Amino acid sequence: MAVCGKAGCMFGRFFDTLKAKGLNVTLSEWLTLQEALDKGLCGSSLTEFYYVARMILVKSETEYDKFDLAFEEHFKGIHSDDEITSQMLRWLDKSDMMELAHEEARDHLNRMEEVQIDKEDVEEKFRQRLKDQDSEHNGGSYWIGTMGKTSFGNTGGNVGGVRVGGTTGYQSAFSVVGARKYRDFRDDKIIDNRQFMQALRRLRQFSTKLDIPKTELDINGTIDKTCNNGGCLQIVMEKPRKNSVKLLLLMDSGGTMIPYTTLLNELFQSVHKSNHYKDVKTYYFHNCIYSKLYKTPECENGDWIDTEWMFRNLDSDYKVIIVGDAAMAPEELYSTTGNYRGPNGGLSGMDWLLLMKKHYKKIVWMNPKMAPGHAPWREAETAIKNIFPMYKLTVDGLNQAMVKLMVNK
Amino acid sequence: MSEVKQGFGSTAEYVASEELMASVNVAIALQKPLLIKGEPGTGKTMLAEAVAKSLGKKLVIWNIKSTTKAQEGLYVYDTIQRLYDGQFGEEGVDDIARYIKLGKLGEAFDSEEQVVLLIDEIDKADLEFPNDLLWELDQMEFYIHETKRTVKAKHRPIVIITSNAEKELPDAFLRRCIFHYIDFPDAELMEEIVKTHFPDIEENLLKNAMDVFYWIRSLKDVRKKPSTSELIDWVNALQIGGIPLEKIKNELPFVGVIVKKDEDLEAVRGSVM
Repeated sequence: MAVCGKAGCMFGRFFDTLKAKGLNVTLSEWLTLQEALDKGLCGSSLTEFYYVARMILVKSETEYDKFDLAFEEHFKGIHSDDEITSQMLRWLDKSDMMELAHEEARDHLNRMEEVQIDKEDVEEKFRQRLKDQDSEHNGGSYWIGTMGKTSFGNTGGNVGGVRVGGTTGYQSAFSVVGARKYRDFRDDKIIDNRQFMQALRRLRQFSTKLDIPKTELDINGTIDKTCNNGGCLQIVMEKPRKNSVKLLLLMDSGGTMIPYTTLLNELFQSVHKSNHYKDVKTYYFHNCIYSKLYKTPECENGDWIDTEWMFRNLDSDYKVIIVGDAAMAPEELYSTTGNYRGPNGGLSGMDWLLLMKKHYKKIVWMNPKMAPGHAPWREAETAIKNIFPMYKLTVDGLNQAMVKLMVNK
Repeated sequence: MSEVKQGFGSTAEYVASEELMASVNVAIALQKPLLIKGEPGTGKTMLAEAVAKSLGKKLVIWNIKSTTKAQEGLYVYDTIQRLYDGQFGEEGVDDIARYIKLGKLGEAFDSEEQVVLLIDEIDKADLEFPNDLLWELDQMEFYIHETKRTVKAKHRPIVIITSNAEKELPDAFLRRCIFHYIDFPDAELMEEIVKTHFPDIEENLLKNAMDVFYWIRSLKDVRKKPSTSELIDWVNALQIGGIPLEKIKNELPFVGVIVKKDEDLEAVRGSVM
């Protein structure tokens, strides 16, 4: 493959494809790749090019999947017809082999005697398919040929956890691309506890930059000054470094949020484990915020605080994260008697939300089931989107929200 | 990579995948730091040892902790020693150079021969830490203010950086690195890895142990998935304990070696039933 020869036109477009898939490849990284090509580091095979390009251009396993997609889109048409490629890729789809592998694992523990047979069975199926595939589509193009022979023949194509024979070798680029084995790493997936915590770590604002008195002894500075002063003590003070972020977490509880209980629980845990905030307050509400906020997720009448009390006591510096699905009937949002669980306090839910916005400088709304794009049929959601920046409750969404909470404007 | 013949390859103690070897060699050829990410226990730290060994170079390790500052890697100005000496009128107190001690990065730069520098677990440090090293890793030099001396690398060290992905690293830093994500080894590679540790291991024992190991990893409610090093410990325990083969799957002996949390232990036992 004359990969390097066609550098100009072919790769320029690959760069565009990567950008289009949402990979933030910079020019300097691109030039590094050119340098690698110049030095002949990827030899003359597409597979080696795949790995070298990936290691230079992609800096997180969460983006491998995007890279795979871009790579497939860009290079699939070059030396073969698309049909075979897509067929191969479909065939490579790991889901059913995955199931087999799982069944196999279960069987191993349940039925010891049959382990051998089972495993052979799986492998046999695999080989059989491979053979069929080969005879049907052999004699195709360069890398379909390669795939058929190298990856799946003997030298270690790893599809869905079943590796067939051979030594450890490169998986051909397309078997990796096709398997989409990094799909699970994508950061737009729903998140777990740990990832929540990582996202929440973004909420840091060390107060050395803030206007507070110098209360800590700067030991190095003091000693240095003292030495320069001929041994006469000269004290140097500095500002303490502390996180000044205060967090107010308001969570929708019950009703339509029940399917997301685990997710909310994770978020709650993460916020409380991230003990580096100056202060964290958590209150609950049902569907929308009205004159009362509940202290517990059960939202029982009486076990509450006045929303106005909160305004008075938690100042406007608190960064507010509201978590809710924003799914409610229009009257719950617009009517002054719309709260069917508790008092309205003379104002509609909408008014209360606007009061929130007026009082707190930084508010984001996290929605576990936000509709993508413009969704006018979800009336309440659309209305709330107009008041607060709303993000989907995923790693990506939470990260964006945290950035939103930290930026000044 | 066929082109870089003299480059890094698997050693007797360390089994590297072809991709990993390629990334090491590309990083060396392009003179960029190599950033290695992966689950705990996938051998990130051991990689640097293996690279140093296979290239016959000295290894300098800089372990990063949550309190580590970039400055410490370059040099430390021992003000306290100077204060002591100053109090007692020691000779040479006015010579600041006496109180400048090079850190690990400084040591790697100042070395007479090329070394392999491992910056281990860079994500443990403060968020800004990697950014503070950009210039030094790019230019391979730094300036000591106190003595007005510039320390420049005589031979560009081979820099390997590991991360457990506890924190996102800054983009500006990432742009300068070659990145490799160590996948969790599949069964075949794992077998090879275990065999480098126990060359004489009995096939059936290994097979049974690995089956259980991958089965536990596949359980959804296990929170801390066992890693390579834990498998190795477990295999060792099984060998020493002389456990009959059929018991490995049924009774999960010494399972505490690979499953460390109480909840996980319950999950595992629950699934067996």
